[in-house]
Amino acid sequence: MTLNLCVFTPNRIVWDSEVKEIILSTNSGQIGVLPNHAPIATAVDIGILRIRLNDQWLTMALMGGFARIGNNEITILVNDAEKGSDIDPQEAQQALEIDEMHNLACLFVNVK
Amino acid sequence: MAMAALRREGRRFASLISPRPITAVRSSPLYPTLEDEGPLGLRHISTQVVRNRMKSVKNIQKITKAMKMVAASKLRAIQTKTENSRGLWQPFTALLGDLPSADVKKNVVVTISSDKGLCGGINSTSVKISKGLHKLNSATGPEKETKYVILGEKAKAQLVRDSKKDIELIITELQKNPLNYTQVSVLADEILKNVEYDALRIVFNKFQSVVSFVPTVSTVLSPEIVEREAESGGKLGDLDSYEVEGGETKGEILQNLAEFQFSCTMFNAVLENACSEQGARMSAMDSSSRNAGDMLDRLTLTYNRTRQASITTELIEIISGASALEG
Repeated sequence: MTLNLCVFTPNRIVWDSEVKEIILSTNSGQIGVLPNHAPIATAVDIGILRIRLNDQWLTMALMGGFARIGNNEITILVNDAEKGSDIDPQEAQQALEIDEMHNLACLFVNVK
Repeated sequence: MAMAALRREGRRFASLISPRPITAVRSSPLYPTLEDEGPLGLRHISTQVVRNRMKSVKNIQKITKAMKMVAASKLRAIQTKTENSRGLWQPFTALLGDLPSADVKKNVVVTISSDKGLCGGINSTSVKISKGLHKLNSATGPEKETKYVILGEKAKAQLVRDSKKDIELIITELQKNPLNYTQVSVLADEILKNVEYDALRIVFNKFQSVVSFVPTVSTVLSPEIVEREAESGGKLGDLDSYEVEGGETKGEILQNLAEFQFSCTMFNAVLENACSEQGARMSAMDSSSRNAGDMLDRLTLTYNRTRQASITTELIEIISGASALEG
């Protein structure tokens, strides 16, 4: 018995296949979903989705949205999603630094 | 000098001798101004006028062909986006159901149309359906009210004429920047903030294929109505079997869900309408290029006939002039 997982963003379908287990982060904490879970409709926070296929864990970053779980079908609708393997750590680090500088600059402007 | 004299002599007789040139053009309503009557009711069409007309028709044909190519390339670009966005609203329909028949007091009709014209009849069909919805809702009861939210110049032009007091919001120049989800969700937010609604009906043209565009209505219900329908059973009865997590109350989650559903359905609707617009423009420009080609063929025939008639007349003049001198 496997779960059928679909992850959609407005621009594309990020994931559509069968998985064994997922760990989803909602705004009331992380929930783990195994086959034959009870039906649930929940809001998804900005966080990490972990997917297990055959003892191998994959990560995906989600930018918030909704998830619906029922009948061994999981549908996750998010504003944006990135697979862990697609993220370049160098680029991400640079983006983080730029954002931090931007935040500092905004603080200065506000203070003035 | 001698030839000129001969010609002048011949011309006096030519009008008696030469037959009336048979012009099919005489019956066509397009050319009444091209004919000028000579002596004895002889009809000549100026070749210059026909040539000018041919030139302008050829230019029009070039322009419409170019417009068709442009529309085809824009269609290709936007079609992939549309197909990807179709997966978005299906889970909502699966969870919350699509209830076009829900009985609600405050209806808001969101009409999506294009900004530019020359795209066939798609904008008129959208406006017709919006007006139909309005009539349907006001016919079922006096306390029901229907308001319009208009996206696009073409629907604005048509609806401002007779339903000005019912229009809440008008948004134009949507396609100035390429369509993306953030822009549409900001738009959806604006609409939700400014308009009170029980049910939102989005009217747009769904893109089924390059030649077929189906006018569709997507319904998004407000959370209170969703609760009401879920309690009364029916299609939404399953909603209660879902345990709703991730917030203080179920109502808050449903509110969030409704907003997200609206922005996803809007995004899909706007993309589909843009696709339909490009497809309709492609087929409209294609048929007008074909018509221009047909017109050009007919004009060429007329031109050749006129040219040959005038050559024949001139020959007859000369010959008759010459024979008059001999005999």
